[in-house]
Amino acid sequence: MNSKYLKSLDEGFSYQTLKLEASRCLLCHDAPCSKECPAGTDPAKFIRSVRFDNLKGAAETIRENNPLGAICARVCPTEKYCQKGCLRSGIDKPIDIGNIQRYVTDFEQKTNMKILKKGVENNKRIAIVGSGPSGLSLAALLLRDGYKVDMYEKESKLGGYLRCGIPAYRLSNEVLDYEIQRIIDLGLNYHTNTTIGKDITMYELKTYFDVVVIAVGYSKGKILEMFKDNPYVETAVDYLKRIKENDGNVLVDDNVLVIGGGDVSMDICTSLKILGSTNVTAVVYEELFEFKASKKELEDARKHDVTIIDGYVPTSVHNNTVNFKHRRLPYDLTMTADKIILAVGQTYDVENLDLKIDKNEAITKTNYQIDDSNVFVIGDISINKEKTVVGSVKSAKEALYYIKQYLGGK
Amino acid sequence: MVNKDLSIEFLNVKFENPFCLSSSPVGNCYEMCKKAYEVGFAGVVFKTIGPESYYIDEVSPRFDKLDKECTDFIGFKNMEQIAEHPLQENLNDLKRLKAEFPNKVLIASIMGNDEKTWEELAKLVEEAGADMIEMNLSCPQMTSHAMGSDVGTNPELCKKYCQAVKRGSKLPMMAKMTPNITNMNVVAKACLDGGADGISAINTIKSICNLDIDKFVGLPIIDGKSSISGYSGKAIKPVALRFIQQMKSDPELKDVEISGIGGIETWIDAVEFILLGSSTLQMTTSVMQYGYRIVEDLKNGLMHYMEDKHVDKLKDLVGLANKNIIPAENLNRDYIVYPHIDEDKCIGCGRCYISCFDGAHQAMQFDKKTRKPHCDEDKCVGCLLCSLVCPVLAISKGKIKVKDNRKCEIKNLII
Repeated sequence: MNSKYLKSLDEGFSYQTLKLEASRCLLCHDAPCSKECPAGTDPAKFIRSVRFDNLKGAAETIRENNPLGAICARVCPTEKYCQKGCLRSGIDKPIDIGNIQRYVTDFEQKTNMKILKKGVENNKRIAIVGSGPSGLSLAALLLRDGYKVDMYEKESKLGGYLRCGIPAYRLSNEVLDYEIQRIIDLGLNYHTNTTIGKDITMYELKTYFDVVVIAVGYSKGKILEMFKDNPYVETAVDYLKRIKENDGNVLVDDNVLVIGGGDVSMDICTSLKILGSTNVTAVVYEELFEFKASKKELEDARKHDVTIIDGYVPTSVHNNTVNFKHRRLPYDLTMTADKIILAVGQTYDVENLDLKIDKNEAITKTNYQIDDSNVFVIGDISINKEKTVVGSVKSAKEALYYIKQYLGGK
Repeated sequence: MVNKDLSIEFLNVKFENPFCLSSSPVGNCYEMCKKAYEVGFAGVVFKTIGPESYYIDEVSPRFDKLDKECTDFIGFKNMEQIAEHPLQENLNDLKRLKAEFPNKVLIASIMGNDEKTWEELAKLVEEAGADMIEMNLSCPQMTSHAMGSDVGTNPELCKKYCQAVKRGSKLPMMAKMTPNITNMNVVAKACLDGGADGISAINTIKSICNLDIDKFVGLPIIDGKSSISGYSGKAIKPVALRFIQQMKSDPELKDVEISGIGGIETWIDAVEFILLGSSTLQMTTSVMQYGYRIVEDLKNGLMHYMEDKHVDKLKDLVGLANKNIIPAENLNRDYIVYPHIDEDKCIGCGRCYISCFDGAHQAMQFDKKTRKPHCDEDKCVGCLLCSLVCPVLAISKGKIKVKDNRKCEIKNLII
């Protein structure tokens, strides 16, 4: 166990600072914050509840809209969504909506509120393959509407990327477990250590269930051709998983080169610094003005003294030495490291799922359905464009409508 | 640094500035009053001294406060009674304070339970060296009904007790008014008839500040129960100003000298009390929350105000606003002031729209695309609620319209 790694980087609010933050909110008419959330969260409403001392009402507003409210509160890049529209910026800075949501969902947990209720059973059976954010969200929504849901997960625990990818200092297993337990309490039937094609086939699922939903996500790190079979190279996704599974109890290399500049890159960079690497250098394709990582993640990496070199693309590698050239300028760069980590994007693993994929997306109709079959696709590989947790929730909510329509429900 | 003479005469006693502690927990002993003098208060109304026979036995806890959102102490509730120290100890403190601070003003607050004790106490505090007496006719938390604010609502009793005090002492004397009454002027006049030289106003307002909604009891909780007691602080400033104005606008009371009390925290509060006719000012709640040091900004702020207004003598400010508070029926109702919206300042929150629709006359329109408000002057009545709710002060007084068939010279209006 590494206590530094397990400790939340952001302290969050106390009741006093929560009230202060809520009192900064302008309580706008037709509030812009409430129009920006892909999952349809209504921050204007729950912040108003906090302002008027109604934490229980605030918790209901969050939870009834989003089964992963406590997780989104912690991991959502709010500056790209709700906080982007915050008019308080016209006075000083936007309201810290994520941390208000975090306080409220913590309150919900502490007071053991049971906001989501199991619906009246309708005997329609649905299988969900994958237990990441999109699968979990959909499961909660379906159970609330009375469907029977079976979830299949190849790992030993539910959670998908939430479990294996997001570092503990951003999302602890305690929070995740509690969030999942809520959904299990609604009657979720789940099967861990179960791989489709090995333990059960797609054909069996399609035959036995009324609907099968593929929610597998981008679970694998991409490997650039030149780095294949290089013993110094590991993907950020694998490394993050190893760290999280071991509660941070991992020996890290002293001098690490990370290639890539998205949130996953920032996560591995910050994790390595927390775990004791002396030098962590991220070499990033994008230049700073076009950076992909969220502000918060970039800030965290910088606070931990991660070196960031922007605008370079790798040209060749020999063992642990990588050559880069700048995308616009006549600069060359050569780096030698103890370890090379690739954070250059993720890809899917849809083996045995009978899916046709084009440009990283399963081919579906706009309604998330594969042709006219009883198979639906949600999450990262669906038509949904937001490759974030909140995007997964969005895809689940949208797909719910079509699944119910397909099953003849309302 | 600004330096103005803040001195003022009140009941023929010279105060180096108008700021005094009011009779309360903040002036409960020698050490406290000493510190207050040293920090800059000109006067102290020592915590009310009662008759020897009256035993003070306090509850615990004894205070509560009213908050709104993130502002605490908007109002304050106090259950403490008069000074709990033995009579002789209080008199000794008065003696010592007068000896050590001869140029500061020492006011003894007293409260008897019959004519005899009022007279005796007046005599004793004069002997102890007090410069002035304040009669506490108005404390709402006394456990005896022969004492406290019930007395202060009875003009005959007040007059009788004033006469008794005047028999006991020749010191200048002010009677402290209770606000728990509809017409304070009746009591004030009775006190002046009885020999009072001035009036101090107001004492605290009877209150229940908050409830514990789980235990079904008011706060503070004393063994499962609570009581009505005095409410003070910023929240009562408007009530205090109203009573003071009403006295000053009464022909029989217009020349009475007043020591103003009620929620004074800043120099602006102080100026307001002065402009409505107060010569000296007393404060407790702000001191309980922030300490005696508040007097530094009260004094300095008041000096700057005098400088800005080109006023050299504080007394020239006293009562300047009284003539401009008039009966509502005499106000000029011939015109409407429309809001002026500064579009550069406006951040588009729409609060003006909400308040105008839900609380006024549905005149403010809101463009959903541009997020800018626009006032429909056909509907606007000029109430200017919008300007009060705007969080960025983007709405000010704008165009003036004279109502149909009225005569009104816009250029002569003071708005």
